[in-house]
Amino acid sequence: MSETRKIVRQVLVIGALSVLLAAAVHFPLVKRFARGEFRETFLSPTEYPGIRLITIQEAEDLWAAGEAVVFDARLERLFRESHVPRARNLPATESKLKIPPDVLELQRERTLVVYCEGGDCQSSLALAKSLHDEGFEDIRVMTGGWEEWEKAGLPQEKGDDQE
Amino acid sequence: MIKNKPLLVAFRLVLGGLFIYAGVVKVLDPLDFAQNIRNYRLVGQSLSFVVAVILPWLEILAGVALAAGIWKRASALIISGLLVFFILLTLITIARGLDIECGCFGALSRRSGFGVILEDLGMLFMGLCLLFAPGRRD
Repeated sequence: MSETRKIVRQVLVIGALSVLLAAAVHFPLVKRFARGEFRETFLSPTEYPGIRLITIQEAEDLWAAGEAVVFDARLERLFRESHVPRARNLPATESKLKIPPDVLELQRERTLVVYCEGGDCQSSLALAKSLHDEGFEDIRVMTGGWEEWEKAGLPQEKGDDQE
Repeated sequence: MIKNKPLLVAFRLVLGGLFIYAGVVKVLDPLDFAQNIRNYRLVGQSLSFVVAVILPWLEILAGVALAAGIWKRASALIISGLLVFFILLTLITIARGLDIECGCFGALSRRSGFGVILEDLGMLFMGLCLLFAPGRRD
């Protein structure tokens, strides 16, 4: 019994030391978190200066103006069912993602809007990071995703890629 | 139960070393690891951050203790517990049909799937051998 108690005590000591080391080493990061950063995304503005989160309203304005290229990061099946009109499908499952050559030909200053299912979906962020890594400078992630676009009664389109 | 001492020492060094490596790569990029945790879509943003900051240190300290032979059973218990948790997490991820990186070894991470479970089972075998190894109880 005392043997078990000793092991439990040692486990607790290792756990407590881990918390202390984490707090000490990552103090600047923890301070930023305490100030309210990273509550929506873990993208560091210094590392990904070209990525911004936008609302459905802002996304609709950009889409309506016709200047932004819209990317749908959901699976092809969901895209075919319905999507934002004129959107391109780039399924961004986090484990593998290749940006097609014709997308890479776009001017790096173009405004790109990306979205995924909505809720806590993360693939639009993964796509945004990949696009950023390719040098794109203005990428907007539509928070709320397809779910809120649909809920807001905004235009939809069915079928495959239009471009 | 394995009683071969040199083999148990090898297990300690390999398992401890793997956990030290896994912890260090995550400590170097905590935000990337936080995003990996978030991708599992099981916990929210804040908990992902807290886990991403603390878990790598737990891996490093348990790995160092195991490799160095200090508090062998306690560190083997932590590592085995973590591995059981990782295996369950991967099974849940497969069942939910999520296609995500496991986030296990930083840039060397790969798709969360049965390959990862096999690796974890191999490591769990070593962990359990060390946990239940005969010898002086320290």
